[in-house]
Amino acid sequence: MGTESNIVVETKNLTKIYRDFWGRQKVRALKALDLEIRQGEVFGLLGPNGSGKTTTIKLLLGLLFPTSGEVNILGKPASDVSKNERIGYLPEESYLYRFLNAEETLDFYGRLFNLSGAVRRQRVAQLISMVGLESAKKRQLKEYSKGMTRRIGLAQALINDPDLILLDEPTSGLDPIGTRNMKDLILELKKQGKTVVMSSHLLADVQDVCDRIGILYQGELKELGRVDDLLKLGEETEYRIKGLSESAKEKISKIIAEDHCELVFSGNPTTSLEELFLNIIAESEEHPGKRVRGGGND
Amino acid sequence: MVIEKPVPEFLDWIGKASLNWLIAVGMLLAIFVVISFIFLMLRYGPGKVMPTFAINFRRGLEDLFQLSWKRVFAIACLIVKESIRKKVIIVCVIFLILLMFAGWFLPQSSPDPGRLYLSFVLSATTYLVLLLALFLSSLSLPTDFKNKTIFTIVTKPVRASEIVLGRILGLTATGTIILVIMAIAGYLFVSTSLSHTHKVMYNEDISAVANVNPDNHDPSIVVAKGATQLTNGHRHEIEEYADGTIIVSEVNNHTHPIRKTVNGDDVRYEVGTEQGTIQAKVPIYGKIKFRDANEFQKEKGINVGEEWEYRSYIAGATPEAVIWTFDNLKSEQFPDGLPIEMTISVFRTTMGNIEQTIMGSLLVRNPQTGLTAETNIFNSEKYTAKALLISRQIDKSKVQNRPTQLKQVGDEASFHQQNVAFEPKESYDLFEDFVVDGKLEIWLQCIDRNQYFGAAEFDLYIRSSDANIFANFLKGYLGIWQQMIILISFGVLFSTFLSGPVAMISTFGIMIAAFCKQLFLQIAYMQALGGGPVEAFNRLVSHENMMTELPKNFATSLVKFFDMIASGFLSVIGLAIPSFTDYNIYMDSIASGYNIPFNTILVHGITTLAYVIPLFIAGYLILKNREVAK
Repeated sequence: MGTESNIVVETKNLTKIYRDFWGRQKVRALKALDLEIRQGEVFGLLGPNGSGKTTTIKLLLGLLFPTSGEVNILGKPASDVSKNERIGYLPEESYLYRFLNAEETLDFYGRLFNLSGAVRRQRVAQLISMVGLESAKKRQLKEYSKGMTRRIGLAQALINDPDLILLDEPTSGLDPIGTRNMKDLILELKKQGKTVVMSSHLLADVQDVCDRIGILYQGELKELGRVDDLLKLGEETEYRIKGLSESAKEKISKIIAEDHCELVFSGNPTTSLEELFLNIIAESEEHPGKRVRGGGND
Repeated sequence: MVIEKPVPEFLDWIGKASLNWLIAVGMLLAIFVVISFIFLMLRYGPGKVMPTFAINFRRGLEDLFQLSWKRVFAIACLIVKESIRKKVIIVCVIFLILLMFAGWFLPQSSPDPGRLYLSFVLSATTYLVLLLALFLSSLSLPTDFKNKTIFTIVTKPVRASEIVLGRILGLTATGTIILVIMAIAGYLFVSTSLSHTHKVMYNEDISAVANVNPDNHDPSIVVAKGATQLTNGHRHEIEEYADGTIIVSEVNNHTHPIRKTVNGDDVRYEVGTEQGTIQAKVPIYGKIKFRDANEFQKEKGINVGEEWEYRSYIAGATPEAVIWTFDNLKSEQFPDGLPIEMTISVFRTTMGNIEQTIMGSLLVRNPQTGLTAETNIFNSEKYTAKALLISRQIDKSKVQNRPTQLKQVGDEASFHQQNVAFEPKESYDLFEDFVVDGKLEIWLQCIDRNQYFGAAEFDLYIRSSDANIFANFLKGYLGIWQQMIILISFGVLFSTFLSGPVAMISTFGIMIAAFCKQLFLQIAYMQALGGGPVEAFNRLVSHENMMTELPKNFATSLVKFFDMIASGFLSVIGLAIPSFTDYNIYMDSIASGYNIPFNTILVHGITTLAYVIPLFIAGYLILKNREVAK
C-alpha cells in the first residue's frame, strides 16, 4: 500500500484569520499550516496557550471555516459531515448536556450515529466500565466532578469506535491517575491501529505517548518530526547500572579520563514525581492504613 | 357569531394559495441564490463559482431530502427531556393556580357564563403557551452555542437540517404535552365551574294554580307555577301544564331538566344539571343576496349609515328581502323540518313604542319555479338570537299562488310570468315542493313599515345535529397548537443566527405583529391615519393633528419619500408575517357554542405548514453556513 492512502489528515496552506464584525483582521490564528498525519500514528500538537492548537483541531472538524487553504480528513473535505462517522472528538472541556446521566449521554450520542439499540446498549456498558463510571452512571452530569465529566467526555468520543480520534487537551483537569489512565488509553488505541491527534501544552504527556509532534507558536508550525529524533542527544551516552561497586566506578572514571571525553553527570538517578505518586497510590491500595515513609519494606 | 373573514373552502383556496406560496418561496430562494453567487464569486473567483455552487447545491438537497429521521427523533427526544428536566412543566402549575383564582373573578351569574369561562380558559392558554414557545424556541439553540454542547453534536454525522428540524419537532412535542395538560385542566375547570342545579320546594317555590279542574288535560292549561331557588345568581321560572309537561325557562343561556315525583301527599321536583351552557352547534350556512324594492337581485341591501358595513339592510313593508340560498339539503337529515337560528339587526326610523318589537317573516322559495310560502312570522329585537322551525308540512293557506319575482338585470328568463298561477295542491311538503336538487331559498322580510332589518351571510343558518362538546373543545386547542408551531419555527430560525435575548425579542416582535397583522398592513400600505411611519413620527414630535395636511415643502416631500421606501419594505414583511387573528375563529366558535368545521382545521393546518417549511429551510441554510465555533 502506498503512503498516500495511509494519510488520514492532510492540510495544505491552512490559514485562519479571525475578523471582527466589520471584517477587520483581529488575529491571525493559524498561518499556512501544512500537515500530514498517517494512519496508526499518535500525533501531538504542542504549543503554549494561544498558539493555534485548538484552532487547528476545530478547522479539522469543520467547526471553523478556513480563511484559505484546504483540509482533507479521512479523504473528505472538512465541510462534509459524513466524515464524522469515523471520527471521535474530545473537546478541551467536556461540553455535554448536564441534565442527562452518563448512560443517557452515551445513548444519545450513539443515536446520532444511527447505531442500533443492541449495539448502543453493549457499547454504552463497555465504555462506562472502561472509564470507570459504573457507580455513577445514573447520576446527572451536573453532579459530576471535573475528572468524571472528562471521562464521560472521552467515552462519548469513542461511542462510534472511531478510526481517528481528536483529543483537545486530553489530560487537562485530570489528576495524575486520570492522566496516566488517559495516556494508557491513547497507547491502547494506537495498538488497535487507530490514529490519534492530540493537542497539549503539558510536555511530559506528549513525550510519553506521541510518535510525532508538531510545535506551534503564534500560529506557525516551528518544528515537526518524530519525538525520538527530536529529543535524541546524539553526542551523549547514558548507561543505567544496578549494583555498581565503588572500585568499578573508579575504573570507569579512569577510562573516561583516558578517552579525553567529558563526564556530564554521574550519581543516583531520580524517578519522576509522577512515578513516585503512582507508586504510592498503588502501594496504598495494596496495604491500606497509614503509610510509613519508605513503607512496604517493614 | 360575527365572521368578518370567513375561512375559505379548502378546494377553492388550495390552488391559488399554493401558487402564491410557491412564488413567495421561489423569490426568497432566488434572492438566496444570488447572494450566495456573489459571495462565492468574491471568495473563490469567477472561475470556480459554478462548480462550488453545484457541489453545495447537491449537498443542500441531500441534507434536506436524505435527512435521517432517527437522528431527528433523537434530537427531538433530547429537547423534550431537557424541557422536562429543566422543569418547564411549571407553566402548567402557573395555569392551574390561575384557574384556582379565576373562579373568584369570573361571575357565574353572567348572562353567558359559557362564553365567559371558555374564552378565559382558551385565551389564558393561548398566551401562556405562546410565551412558553417564544422562550423555549429562541433560547434553545443559543444555549447550546453558549455551553458549546453544539460542538459535540456537529462533530457527529449530524446534518444542520436534522438539528433544526429536531429542534422544531422537539419543542412542538414539549408544547403539545403542556397543551394537553392545560386542555384537560381547562375542560374540567369549565365544566365543574358551570355545573350547577337548583332546589325547588313544593308549596314554597312552586305551587298549584287555584281553580283548575284536575280532570281537564288540555295541554295549554297551567296547573302549577313558580321558580327555582337562587343558584349562581339566577333562578328559572317553572310552569307545569295539565298534560304533565314541565317547562323550565331559559336563563343565562341554559335550562335544566326537571322531574316530578308524587308519593301520596309528598310532591317533589328534582332539577338536573344545566344543559346548553356549552354547545357545539353545527350550522349550515347559505349564500346571501338581496332583493331590492323593484324585485331585482342585488349583492347588497341598503346602507343605513352604519360605519361597519358587515350587515346590509332591507326596508319593512316593501318587496325588499334578504335571501339565503342553501345547497345540498337532504330530507333524511331533517325529518321534522328545518331548524333555523338567526341573529338579526334591527334599525328603527320611528321609535314608536320602544317596548314593542319589530315584526318579520321567513319565507321559503323554490329557486326554480318561484313557488313561495310564508312559513314563520316572528318578533325581533336587535341582536337577539332566535330559533325557529320551518316545518315539513306547509299549510296551503301559507303558499302564494303566483311565483315570487327575483329579477336579474339583463336576464329576461328570470322574470317569472306574474299571471301564471300555480296548480293549487291540498298539502305541501317542504322538500318535495320547495327544495330543488338540494337547493332552497330562505327569505327574510320585514313587516313593519319604516323599520329595517339588517343581516349578514352568517346571521341565519340551519342548525344540524350538534357535535361532541369535548371534541370541539379539543379542536380549539388545535388552533392554539398551530399558532404555537409557527412561533416555534420563527424562534428556531432566529436562534440559528442571533444570540438568545436578541432572538427572543425578534420572535416576540413577530408574535406581536402576527396578533395585529391588519394594523401592520394598514401602516405598510399607508392607509392608517397619520400617514406612514416617518410621517407619523414627524406628527408626533411636532404635536401635529393626525388629520391636518402637512405643508407643501421640501421637508414634507422628503418625509413622504422615506415613507414610500418604508412602505415597500413593510409591505413585504407584512405579507410574510403570519396572522394570528385568523386563528381567532377557533376561540370565537367555541365561546359562541359553534362546532369548528374540519375545513377550518385543514386550511389553517396547511397554512401552518406553509410557514414551517420555508422557516425550516432558512434555518437550515443559516446554520449550515455558520461557523459553529466562533
